[in-house]
This record gives sequence, structure tokens and C-alpha cells, in this order.
Amino acid sequence: MPKVAIDPITRIEGHLRLEVQVDGGKVTDAWSSSTMFRGMELVLKGRDPRDAWLFTQRI
Amino acid sequence: MNDFSPGLENVLARQGVTRRDFLKFCSAMAATLVLPTRYVERIADALATVKRPPLVWLEFQDCAGCSEAFLRASRPSVGDIVLDILSVNYHETIMAPAGKAAVKSLDDTVKEGGYLVVVEGSIPTKDNGIYCTIGGRTALDIAKQVCGKAAATLTVGACAFYGGWPNATPNPTGAVGVKDAVPGITLLNLPGCPPNPVNITATVVHYLTFGSLPATDQLGRPLFAYGTRIHDNCERRAHYDAGEYVEEWGDDHARAGWCLYKMGCKGPATFHNCPTVRYNDGTSWPVGAGHGCVGCSEVAFWDTMSPFYRRLPNVAGFGVEAQADQIGLGIVGGVAAAFAAHGVVSAIRARQQPLARHESDGVSAEGKEG
Repeated sequence: MPKVAIDPITRIEGHLRLEVQVDGGKVTDAWSSSTMFRGMELVLKGRDPRDAWLFTQRI
Repeated sequence: MNDFSPGLENVLARQGVTRRDFLKFCSAMAATLVLPTRYVERIADALATVKRPPLVWLEFQDCAGCSEAFLRASRPSVGDIVLDILSVNYHETIMAPAGKAAVKSLDDTVKEGGYLVVVEGSIPTKDNGIYCTIGGRTALDIAKQVCGKAAATLTVGACAFYGGWPNATPNPTGAVGVKDAVPGITLLNLPGCPPNPVNITATVVHYLTFGSLPATDQLGRPLFAYGTRIHDNCERRAHYDAGEYVEEWGDDHARAGWCLYKMGCKGPATFHNCPTVRYNDGTSWPVGAGHGCVGCSEVAFWDTMSPFYRRLPNVAGFGVEAQADQIGLGIVGGVAAAFAAHGVVSAIRARQQPLARHESDGVSAEGKEG
């Protein structure tokens, strides 16, 4: 029952990992993970609301 | 290694880029690097014969904005020129292989050595670096290995420079730049959010022409691009000196293109060549488009320069005709206070050094100061 992992997924913006469970030549289960976290919501807390666009456009 | 015909000119000729366009590109690069015109021929000779060096582009905690900026470089087909000078062996956003095949491209390049690395994005250090992993390895682990063995490392953008916005208070993931994550390597920083692709290209051209990285300030930023203050070359500077300010967004003064200092412009505290090089093939830049500078090429600007619409405190000479030096010194004091408040005093010590050199050596391309 091989489990196949594809990481990194390329030609996308950001970081992504895919894992698929293959049973008898068929995919029976799959998982995707975003493998990068920065915490923009935590950084934005308490700031001047007029500054928010500068941060969020750089997500 | 995919090294077909050596010499950029041959490659370009096949793509319809003429000798004339090529020389125009070389002239633009010499101008950006603040080199005398006699260097144009030298740059052309070097680029025409150089063997394509391999390059890997690492993306960590990034938004891909720096990649986007670079891919839009256009001074006659810079996209063609630089991507053809360099053998880009690894760049997750644009490469064809994925998964194991992508990792193999990186491993093979590292094994062969002699490559350049471009790093985009910050590197998380908290909780053993788990906040960014690629191919099952942490960004920190990859950076140590790949940058450690490289001929030279270039950081692009604020994030790879000192940590960028992920590093802004409270810095949830312990994000840092390359200089802190991998100390002691051959490193050049091209900060900005995003950096100007012309400066990235010019740095690569300098490396290929002279075999070395361009001279830098104490923060590792090349002087040709970060040696002059935005305020000193700003097209709205005359309005500052004349006491003509935008007082409110959309007022008559804004329409007339007056100075944005009162609206929070950080140009007086920021070193970058934006006013002269501009963005999008020299079309415009933030102040030209009517918004103040946010100081994106400076350390910790997300904390020290914000709130972005609050004006810089206590600028000497504000509202009167004044020497650039006096204004600059007042600004450095204001930023020093802000930096100290955020507990990054070391950054300001480094900041004062290049400023002193800038003013005494006449690094300024315009030579306005003193």
C-alpha cells in the first residue's frame, strides 16, 4: 500500500505538499498541507488600520 | 548542466535581440552601477563570453512578490538576458519538475558547486524551524546547506534581508533574514518590498563582469543602489524645501504633486535609488504615483516606519530652505529613537556608518551634498 508524497509542488505561489494513499492502483485517500506559516493575523493585531493593506497585499 | 552555446550574445541573437539592443542593455547596467561609460564595452565583452553560472532561487517565508518583480524586469528583454546568462536550475515558482525531481535539481547543483543562490523570504527559527518546510526539510536546514556551499548568496527583498513582515512584532515564527540564519557566508542584500529588478540584474552583471560582488554598506547593501537617500533625489524635493505640502489626500496640493512628508513619507530616512531608477521599466515609483515612501529598504521598517501615515518626528529644517545634511541628521535621530524603542539598537549603529561614508565620500551619484 504505497503512500506517495509530492513536496514541493512547483509552479504555484507558496508552499504545498500532497500525500496520496494508493491501493491497488487507485487513490483511496489524500492529504494536502501548506508547509509554511507566518502568522499575519497575529502581526496585524493592534496596528493602525490604515496600514493593514500594506501587510495583507504581501500575503 | 544545460550549457549550450557559450556567450550570451549568440543566445540572444537566436532570439532576435540585436547587437544594438544588447549594447543598450550594457549601457543601462553601467549607468545603474554608477560606472563611467568606458565600462560599457567591458561589460559587453564579459557578458558576451561568460560561461553561464548555475543559480538556485530559494523561496522560504515569502509571497513570491520578489520573483514577480524580477520576472517583470524588462530593460531590453532583461528577462531574456538575465535568464539566459544564468542557468536557473531551481526556482519553485517557475520550474517544471516537482517533488523528488525538483529536490534532485537542487541537490545536483549543490553537489557540483560554484553556483549563486538567491534567497527570497524569511527563515523561521522558532520551534526548530517547523514553520517552513520544503521536501520535508526546514528552511533553516536548507539555507545552511545551500547558502553555505555557494559561491555567493544574494538576498532579495526585506524578508530575506532581516525577516520582513513575518519578523514584525510579535514575530510569531521567530523569522529572521539570511545574515542571522546563516552567519559568515559571502552575502549581498538587495532589500526592498519588492526590490527593483534593475538592481538585481545590475548586481548579477557586476558579478559576471568583475568576478566580485559590488561594494556594500555596513548592512551588506550595494552602494550603487542604496548609497543615496530617497529624499535627496526626490522629484518633489523642491516642494519640501519651499514648504509646499500635501495636507490631506485628494487636496489641491496632492493634485499639484507637492511634497508628501506630512502624509507620512519616509523618504528622508530611507536609502534606495527608486527616484532615479524607478519601477516597471522606469515608468513610475511610489512617490511619483502620489503615495509616500514606506521605507521598505530599511531594517525593521514594518515596526520602525509604521504607522505609515504618521509623519516622521522632528525633522530639522522642516518647512524652510535647509541643507540636506542637516535634515538627514535630524532624521537619523528620529529613527534611532524608534529603533531603540523596538530594542534593535544594533541596527542603528550599523545604519550610522554608511550614512557617514555616504556624506564624506560623495557616494551620491548626484553629488548634491555638503
